[in-house]
Amino acid sequence: MLKLLLASSAIALALTAPARADFWSDAGAKLQGVTIRGVSESTPPSNYVRDVLAPQFTAATGIKVEFETTSWDQMFDKAIKDMEAGSGIYDFVYIEQDIIYSYLARDFLVNISDALEADPSLQAPEFKIEEFTTFIDNFRGENGDIFGVPMEAFIKVYLYRKDLFEDPAHKEAFKAKYGYNLAPATTFAQWRDNAEYFANLDPNDELWGTTVQASSGHPASFYEFFESIAPTYGVYDWGIDMAKGAATVEKGGRMNSPEAKEALAFWVGLLDLAPPEATASTWDEVASTFAAGRAAQGWVYGENAAWVATNPEKSTVVGKVGVALPPMNEGVMAAAEAGEGYIGYYDGGAFGIPHSSKNKEAALLWLQYIGQPSVQADWAVAGSRVVHQATFDAPKVMEVDAKADGYFTMMKEQGHLFKGAPEFPFHAQVREVVAPFIYEAIVGTMTPEEALDKAAVAAEAEMAKLGYGGN
Amino acid sequence: MRNTTTGWLLIAPTLFILFITGMVPFLYVLAVGFLDWNTFAANPEPRFAGVENFRALVFDAAFLKSLWLTFKFTVFVLASQLLVGFFLAKMLMRNVPLKGLFRTIHTLPLMIAPIAVGATWRLMTVPGLGPIPHWMQQWFDISYVLSRFPDQAFATVVIMDIWHWTPLVTLTLMAGLSNLPEEPLEQARIDGAGEWRIFWDITLPFLKPVLLTTIFIRLMDALRTVDEVWMLTGGGPGAETRFIGLHIWRVVFPKTDYGYGAAMSLITLYLTIVMCWLLYVAMTGMKEKSR
Repeated sequence: MLKLLLASSAIALALTAPARADFWSDAGAKLQGVTIRGVSESTPPSNYVRDVLAPQFTAATGIKVEFETTSWDQMFDKAIKDMEAGSGIYDFVYIEQDIIYSYLARDFLVNISDALEADPSLQAPEFKIEEFTTFIDNFRGENGDIFGVPMEAFIKVYLYRKDLFEDPAHKEAFKAKYGYNLAPATTFAQWRDNAEYFANLDPNDELWGTTVQASSGHPASFYEFFESIAPTYGVYDWGIDMAKGAATVEKGGRMNSPEAKEALAFWVGLLDLAPPEATASTWDEVASTFAAGRAAQGWVYGENAAWVATNPEKSTVVGKVGVALPPMNEGVMAAAEAGEGYIGYYDGGAFGIPHSSKNKEAALLWLQYIGQPSVQADWAVAGSRVVHQATFDAPKVMEVDAKADGYFTMMKEQGHLFKGAPEFPFHAQVREVVAPFIYEAIVGTMTPEEALDKAAVAAEAEMAKLGYGGN
Repeated sequence: MRNTTTGWLLIAPTLFILFITGMVPFLYVLAVGFLDWNTFAANPEPRFAGVENFRALVFDAAFLKSLWLTFKFTVFVLASQLLVGFFLAKMLMRNVPLKGLFRTIHTLPLMIAPIAVGATWRLMTVPGLGPIPHWMQQWFDISYVLSRFPDQAFATVVIMDIWHWTPLVTLTLMAGLSNLPEEPLEQARIDGAGEWRIFWDITLPFLKPVLLTTIFIRLMDALRTVDEVWMLTGGGPGAETRFIGLHIWRVVFPKTDYGYGAAMSLITLYLTIVMCWLLYVAMTGMKEKSR
């Protein structure tokens, strides 16, 4: 069936776009039989690349693509070790938005702008940088050149169960208990009340009040706190001032500020109202929990929004999903609109070519293939990711948008209020020293205040050890 | 003389391979242990740091906690596996019904890769999906959440290791028991010695070489446990099951702190050798004393 689909896609591509087909076959002629290898995290967008785009590219160019989709940790381990050793195992690697600054600092990546300019015969006519959303700016070097072609981008949104929130019986009971109307949360107190109400409905109903991405042994919890929760309390960029090398309030950072401590106390306080798997949940498990109908609301990565809302084979809450902006403190929205802050996480990644690649020309063609407009809409439907501005208006995407309660519209119109990870070259290094304190707060062996005080000191020590921030 | 030369020539390829695969990496790690080297530092080049990495380890609470957890884990699994393994070996030496079937089933865990063992146990223990939390709640009213309760996580990791590796101990002890000389045992029984006396004065001394080998193998395995635990708990909750192998992995791979990680590896290797040596001296000393 898959082969039939791929064959028909390839034929359709050949019939409907002769100019493009000519380019791909012409450009691929001298690279016939070449195999390029890549690595990425196993996510809906990456799985679409492996199952659909890679075979299409091979049919169009004759270049084979071996694409490895693995766990998030393994993906980074493999890519970084390959690039450090210069072994040339991978011809393209997934570059998450938060790691690009480390890769650029280490000069791991090929300058794609330069490479295309150097050989015009490799420039695909349909590949145009200006058609991408502003997300591509994350992958620019200091002079504006491109070092990665975006393959996925999404926002982490507030998902809630529309069927529950709109149920008249729940509305009545909630109002009787809390004195105001049941609605998607716009404040943290409301989030907690919502969570408490649904968690305590019936001890045997397998429904809890909220998801919490609070793995007590995986950095996913670090990310949910610092990239989704803390910003809504007005603590941005992990509370680190990179120029000063500061994380503690005493030195000019905000990692252990009162707002950060309040945010952590709120977030770990939700664990009592979350399903028991919350403390073992990364981004994948959170989506699965919500899709299994085990939580009434939660922060969910947008890459999962479409399938949770529309795929009845994987989700039990199809047609019941509402999408909204997360709650936030006063002043945070104004700061985000002024470009001085943000209200949540704009995640995504690109494919880049390591200097160590042995098949740079073929990889360059591949990156343009996945960056052309014609492949974007189907990919967006499969993986809730959008990297081209025009994709938002594609009929297929608009159809899913309607079923997903306007997720894509929100991304299009309010995506600018969200932001990716801070531009730290020491991303993983500081994360590794801070995350254990978040784990301690989750498990309850440290209070939120104690955890953040110690985390801020540890972060500063690590930055100093690495030689950043004038320490 | 010619025999000696021929002997050396015959084992030369093996020695060469051992040198390349064993000594070269060791010497590399030894050299890296004296460097300050993090490829994502402002200066990513390796710099000579003297003994700074080793000095820092002495004050590193996370490293020391990790060592202590590893030691505790090793003691628990080793003692349990020896006791259970010996009991099962004795049972399987007897003519009990379905002995062959049980022996086959009992040996199956040995054939499973540690990473698969960890994944299987994770599936069994994840709340909302795994049967164990469900049963614990239904039968004992116990909230079983590995990612939240450190004691549960530690105990489960220990039980998983016992389940996985006890069959190895059973098999080696069965080999030892089946080679015990019959005469001293018969003589002791004729003289009226009890089972405990026979075990302590005859069985145990004869089993000592096998026991020593088994203990060394399991001790070294336990001290470098990574895959199963990484898969089951990821070292959590917090750092409560972050044994030394896992701790070193986090320092070397995600944190890319190669110099410090290498120093940790060397200290761990040193402690492993010391522990094995102490154990060897204690056991062989016991043997001498018992003579």
